[in-house]
Amino acid sequence: MSAIAAADTRDTQGRPGAIIPRIQPPLGSLMIAMTVMCYLATLAIGALILVNRTVAGWTSELSSEVTVQVRPLDKRDIKADVARVRDILTATKGIESVDVYDRARSAALLEPWLGKGAMLEDLPIPRLVTVAIDRKAPPDFAALAKKISAAVPAASLDTHRRWQAELTRLAGAFQWLGVAILLLIGAAAVLLVVKTTRAALDANREIVAVLHLVGARDHFIARQVERRFLLTGLRAGLAGTVAGLLTFVVVSLFGGLGAPLDLAQASRGLLFGPPETSRLVYSLVMLVPIIATLISLITARVSVLRILHEIA
Amino acid sequence: MGTPVIRFENVGLRYGKGPEVLRDVSFELEQGGFRMLTGASGAGKTSLLRMLFLASRPTRGLINLFGRDIATLPRRDYPTLRRRIGVVFQEFRLIDHLTTFDNVALPLRVTGKSRSAYRGDVMELLKWVGLADHADALQPVLSGGEKQRVAIARAVVGKPDLLLADEPTGNVDPAMGLRLMKLFAELNRFGTTVLIATHDSHLIERTGMPVMQLVEGELRAAA
Repeated sequence: MSAIAAADTRDTQGRPGAIIPRIQPPLGSLMIAMTVMCYLATLAIGALILVNRTVAGWTSELSSEVTVQVRPLDKRDIKADVARVRDILTATKGIESVDVYDRARSAALLEPWLGKGAMLEDLPIPRLVTVAIDRKAPPDFAALAKKISAAVPAASLDTHRRWQAELTRLAGAFQWLGVAILLLIGAAAVLLVVKTTRAALDANREIVAVLHLVGARDHFIARQVERRFLLTGLRAGLAGTVAGLLTFVVVSLFGGLGAPLDLAQASRGLLFGPPETSRLVYSLVMLVPIIATLISLITARVSVLRILHEIA
Repeated sequence: MGTPVIRFENVGLRYGKGPEVLRDVSFELEQGGFRMLTGASGAGKTSLLRMLFLASRPTRGLINLFGRDIATLPRRDYPTLRRRIGVVFQEFRLIDHLTTFDNVALPLRVTGKSRSAYRGDVMELLKWVGLADHADALQPVLSGGEKQRVAIARAVVGKPDLLLADEPTGNVDPAMGLRLMKLFAELNRFGTTVLIATHDSHLIERTGMPVMQLVEGELRAAA
């Protein structure tokens, strides 16, 4: 038996050759573009979780504390007012601790704006009482505010609700922005796959024609084409996601650029932080290659079927 | 006389706004029939065959294939009809990056058959056409005659009800030509209807089958 015949026997026993050639120039460009998109999607997901975590931290700090401000009024003994407020607060259920700022500490809070000096001595400085709340069983704030202002007209309760609402709104806006970015990336990927499918079919027009002539159904041809796109989507998804995660690793090691939000620390928190955060990060990021593969596969299939219908 | 597999009634064909390449072509080919189609280059032989494998539609007239009017045939039914037809193209139309084996097996593969189900049949056919030793060869390394035999093997591997061949022996030596014609005759003996387009008068004489002649787009004489 000749060498060729020996090779024949081996190969004809194996898997059939790919009908659509494995190497498709349009798919090379798609692979690069989709890798970049998956990289950006991974960064967007990381940034989104980062912003959410930071805002959640701020709101949690705010919601675990309220303050009572006692203003100095003429003909009233501010010390007696503060003591009265403290008594009311300590007698209220749902309050864990009460911290009264005396005149010196209250004045210290104003120092950054007014500076040290004799002027502070003469100013009527309001007193602050910070109150730690039992977040599991918080007090009825409306009733408490009423009780305090009834007992001490110069006192008012600040629950920081306005700031919490602002922060929640901010977090919501960032969330929508993140989702919009991810949707845009997805839409761009769909468009790209549609264009590439057309280019791939153009490049293999003769093969498609022969397949039709030997009785292939459109779904058979679509399967041959979509296999190439499935692999491209999967590879690009994995490459982009790994590159995105590596970026966070690099930033966590060498970042810390002195920005208000310490990027290095935040990135470390993302990757190696509390288990619930890491789980969320990794599970969302793992969705990137899966979605990239699905976009690639489904879009290619729909496009091929549509194009085959057009050229029939 | 069997049921007509092919029926042409006053068929005309023109490409775009050009002149008619086929005019008022009418003929019938019954099941199990064997017919030679001849005519000079450009007489319209290939155009007539193209309509039979649904690559183009007539601009007028009626074509009935296996009892179905192709003008009203929905696109989704094309594959079913094409699987009953084996075609040998003049220009072979083989897929270059596939091996000889995979090219020949293509009509079976597209029906969803597994490789193990058709391996034996394909190898036997390759032996018949003298290409068993080239089963794993890619098409660019084959000679014109070998490619022609691959194209013929691909056309007959599915044991089609209708075999259409456009100059099927144009690139092979007379001995191989005769061997291939025997293959067509064998298929015909088992019920395949055969229509061969050729301008090779020796081949026509050797087969001794009825002849239709196309002259400038018209079917002038049917013997």
